[in-house]
Amino acid sequence: MREITLKVNGKDTTRSVDPRRLLVDFLRHDLGLTGTHVGCEHGVCGACTVLFDGETVRSCIMFAVQADGHGVETVESLATGPEALHPIQEAFWENHGLQCGFCTPGMLMATKELLAENPAPDEQEIRTALAGNICRCTGYVHVVSSVQAAAAKLAGERTT
Amino acid sequence: MKPAPFQYHSPATLPEAFELLGSFGAEAAPLAGGQSLVPLMNLRLARPSTIIDINRVESLDYVRVDEGSLRVGPLVRHATMERSNTVREALPIASAVVPFIGYPAIRHRGTVVGSIAHADPAAEWPCVALAFDAEVTLAKTGSARTVPADAFFKTLLTTVREPDELVTEVAFSTRFDSWGFYEFARRHGDFAVIAAALALRTNDGVIAEARISLAGAGERPLRVPEAEEALVGEPLTAEMAGIAGSAAKEVVEPVEDIHGSSSYRRELVGVAVERAMTDAANRS
Amino acid sequence: MTTDASTQAPRFFGARVKRVEDPRLLLGGGQFVDDIEKIGMFHASFVRSVEARARILDIDTSDAEQMPGVVKIFTGSDFSRKEVLCISSYDGFQVSGYSALADGEARFNGEAVAMVIAEDPYQAEDAAERVMVDYEPLPPVINAEKALLEDSPLVHEGWRGNAFVERKYKSEGFDEAIKDLPHSVTGRFVMARHSGIPLETRAAIGDYNNASRMLTLWTATQIPYLIRTGLADAIGLPENRVRVISPDVGGGFGVKAQLYPEELACSLASIELGRPVKWVEDRREHLLASHHAREHTHEATVYFDDDGRVHALEARIVVNMGPYSVFPWTATMDTGMAMGILPGPYKIENYSVLGFPVATNKAPYGAYRGVSRPAACFTIERLMDQVARHRGLDPAEVRRRNYVTQGDYPYTSASGLVYDSGSMVESQDLLLSEIDYEGLRRWQGEARAEGRLIGIGLGAYTEQTAHATKEFVQRGVPIVFGYETSTLRLDPQGKLVISSSIHNHGQGLETTLAQMAADALGMDIADIRVDYGDTAQAAYGSGTFASRSAVLAGGAARKASEQLREQLARMAAHNLEASPDDIEFVDGRVFVQGSPEKGYSFGELCRMVYHRPELVPEGQQPILEATVAYDAPPGTGTFTNATQVAVVEVDPGTGGIEILRYAIVEDCGPMINPMIVEGQIFGGIAQGIGSAIYEEFVYDEDGHLLTTTFMDYLLPGTTEVPRMEVFHLETPSPFTVGGIKGMGEGGAIAPGAVIAGAVEDAISTIGPVLVDEIPLTPERVRRFIDSAREAASR
Repeated sequence: MREITLKVNGKDTTRSVDPRRLLVDFLRHDLGLTGTHVGCEHGVCGACTVLFDGETVRSCIMFAVQADGHGVETVESLATGPEALHPIQEAFWENHGLQCGFCTPGMLMATKELLAENPAPDEQEIRTALAGNICRCTGYVHVVSSVQAAAAKLAGERTT
Repeated sequence: MKPAPFQYHSPATLPEAFELLGSFGAEAAPLAGGQSLVPLMNLRLARPSTIIDINRVESLDYVRVDEGSLRVGPLVRHATMERSNTVREALPIASAVVPFIGYPAIRHRGTVVGSIAHADPAAEWPCVALAFDAEVTLAKTGSARTVPADAFFKTLLTTVREPDELVTEVAFSTRFDSWGFYEFARRHGDFAVIAAALALRTNDGVIAEARISLAGAGERPLRVPEAEEALVGEPLTAEMAGIAGSAAKEVVEPVEDIHGSSSYRRELVGVAVERAMTDAANRS
Repeated sequence: MTTDASTQAPRFFGARVKRVEDPRLLLGGGQFVDDIEKIGMFHASFVRSVEARARILDIDTSDAEQMPGVVKIFTGSDFSRKEVLCISSYDGFQVSGYSALADGEARFNGEAVAMVIAEDPYQAEDAAERVMVDYEPLPPVINAEKALLEDSPLVHEGWRGNAFVERKYKSEGFDEAIKDLPHSVTGRFVMARHSGIPLETRAAIGDYNNASRMLTLWTATQIPYLIRTGLADAIGLPENRVRVISPDVGGGFGVKAQLYPEELACSLASIELGRPVKWVEDRREHLLASHHAREHTHEATVYFDDDGRVHALEARIVVNMGPYSVFPWTATMDTGMAMGILPGPYKIENYSVLGFPVATNKAPYGAYRGVSRPAACFTIERLMDQVARHRGLDPAEVRRRNYVTQGDYPYTSASGLVYDSGSMVESQDLLLSEIDYEGLRRWQGEARAEGRLIGIGLGAYTEQTAHATKEFVQRGVPIVFGYETSTLRLDPQGKLVISSSIHNHGQGLETTLAQMAADALGMDIADIRVDYGDTAQAAYGSGTFASRSAVLAGGAARKASEQLREQLARMAAHNLEASPDDIEFVDGRVFVQGSPEKGYSFGELCRMVYHRPELVPEGQQPILEATVAYDAPPGTGTFTNATQVAVVEVDPGTGGIEILRYAIVEDCGPMINPMIVEGQIFGGIAQGIGSAIYEEFVYDEDGHLLTTTFMDYLLPGTTEVPRMEVFHLETPSPFTVGGIKGMGEGGAIAPGAVIAGAVEDAISTIGPVLVDEIPLTPERVRRFIDSAREAASR
């Protein structure tokens, strides 16, 4: 077992973990942050996407011990509750960007990163950035329009 | 799909890493990006009893240009190659190839050197390394050696790296003034079914030196000397692209798998080489 | 006596309201089975057969039992061979039971043979690896056609051949009719095995409480009640001591509409151990052992006249079913449905068909979005394109000549299906006009002149939805899925709970059911909560599948809301000294028509009923509850239709396909929530594109599954699925509540046919070829191109 200390959603967290404990299992079962989901455990589907030191990573193919001394942000960091959704979450809600919700947390984190790097992406750029987030429900059309709406909201926020 | 148990070490210095590798040798796996290793561990196809995580070792994340090479350290992520102006200027193919590698999340963690050390024949970096005459540095406690890429890759997922060695640098040659790349994958970001990387040195539009390297055409990245020879002394044109493609097609013996039979892959080799050449021609 | 709820314009029906279920899902607050932990819970890992077919000689658990954290290891005999049976009433149906753990013989690569119980999932997996199973491989039966031959080994000892059953149908006068028809085209159409692959794998927690003798099973399922009944029957428990809870579920698509052995096993293990037992399927297991679908081979011929009018269809349908008849569908479902819908939306008067669901040693086969209709559509649409080619007609024109038209409805097809309504011609016309079909063909000509391989493909279908009693009786299933049920309860505050027998896993039913109930009561959907998934709550029903939940559960909710309206109207009338017919329900107020001040707020009125029973009129109950189980007439379903078109470019070098444009006209009748309808269409088409180009379960000749990860089984992502354009027509059903129809599966039905048609059209400039197999992997496309080239040079 190793003791690790990391910042999770801004909060300092110390735990003892088995080296082989996957980061996604640590977040879900050790910390109770069940918003991040497991879809494949080999890094392809994107359901487990979180931000690691501000960049998207696949938490199913990282060990929790690798996060020692680093910062992780999960979907739970976007908003505190339904009355105060993040503009990206609002945009997905208004544009029917989710159906079963299982891919959604990963999709939201990938969107957050995309819009931070590229505040006004065109459709192709959106599709390319989200190519690693598989969804079996939506067919992606409304995901794209949700991201476009989110971009507009965030741009609007910046100018006000 | 949880990995089998292992001991974990995260050395803070390279000498420490070497020492650990020296002790655990064949039972150990170095961990840099983990984007290839950890999936294999989750599938229990890889079961190292010791993981030596080198992510904490300082100063392994460097990109340097000198005397005709672009030197890349073991913690340089794919994403860095895409963003770096140094890379784009010294070795443009190294920036251009990154968008073919997985997705942003993979590129933030996966490393160039890790990909080369892992030696998946369908991966982009081994292919580019071979085309660009890369020199691979292998180091261990007390010694280091440098091996040309062609000698580094042996067979499927197998290189000349000894268990107590770490790949500490890959140096791509910057002597080639033209380059081309073409990859065919089933989906965006997937491993190549077939990819071709082309490194050319030209004099007034005439090819003086050519290197054609293929991903997906065998158990390791492959050069195609017959096609390369056919190009020397010729201009960089669409017609030559076709000739190179045909020549390459004749000599490869691709392995088959779920994503392509050997005869189909052979056809694709011809297509990929031709298109990589056309890519190079369009750029000049 | 009902008050007319239709006099005011509906506020919620038809509106693009935001979904009620979204906030919790967006926040990461959804509760999926793996998010649930119970005190004292153990974790299970299954040992799975590495062979497609083998006698299990011995299972040595001695090493595994010593591993850290291991509590117990179960094998087949421990569960007294508990199995799930699903027996069709079709004549000659051969029976096979699907055991909780393999019963001495493993019949597919991936079948569970042992169950390790440990303290955590990592330990369980460690121990599972150390269970030593001694297999004696037997000759596996992998190819369905070969399985039908006389000399094939039998999957089940004692069976007469490997077909679960043989079905045939021939319409009267068929043999004579084909003699008079001058032309015919034939094909052998193959759709590869693939499946729904929801992003959430299966998961279950069996929790038997010894003290209360109650079994609770949390499971990611679309059919909680059927699971409860099936489980209670299979294990031998009283059903009133079994509770099934299906919470949030990450996609189903039919794959989670089955009683699986693992659900039995988790329940049995929990009963045995007296502790909760959780199992979370990993992706490799999912690809191996969650049921597969779509593996059809159709040999089919259409007979037609000089005008391209098809008057006869003949077909032989073979479906590769794996070894077991899965509950609740039976192994006949896909075959029977394909036989029924093969004539498609066309007036084909003469029909002769044979159907063979075949037992093999591939994974068991169940329902997946469309359930045989994708294969049937593939066959008939490809044949229509061949008719077009034969007669030198445009594919759109051939279809136009053959469609069932307005004057024909209700139209009884040659297979006996009653198409109640539709808009085949109108939908196609609208689609072609929206995409400027003629302009597109001109552009195609120009692009072809440049040497580009551009193709346009068309696919049309009519989709049976919301079928209930009458239909399922005909299908010979042991449980006739005859209705869905909604129970509506108002509370003293005037808030409404709709408890429904359906399940919601992306379809937006938490919103649409509320939309169905709100208007009759003048309520806002914010005051309505929809509940489902827990068999302790709602009244009985079948669950969510077959594009029927909105129609049946929604219809039930609407009818129940009308009952509540009636009760409230009488209550108000009684206390306001008015006639119930004069009571209006608008925006949360209940009042006498024309005198809005003479009334109550909706909440006030409800509270009066519950807390002031002395004010309730005689003969009326002092509670506000209504339950309706709705079987939409005529019971054989209401038919939605759609036409889809794709423009593709084929790369002759690689065989790669780029979809340049994808458009669809959908007619699913009046739409409860157009945004949700569109989401279903796009999602269905995306899965259809997977069927058409990417997805395939590949087995080797010994029945080992080769596609066991997402590196090999390819799912389309944002860069593979194009932008899509959708247009709507709304032809109501003459029969259902609100005229609404189902539509959830539809998008997935046509893309195989559409893409294949487009690729064939694209290649046609090289030479003639019949594209008759999907998925169109790049290699298959190259082979079709080579065939076309060869044919052209002859």
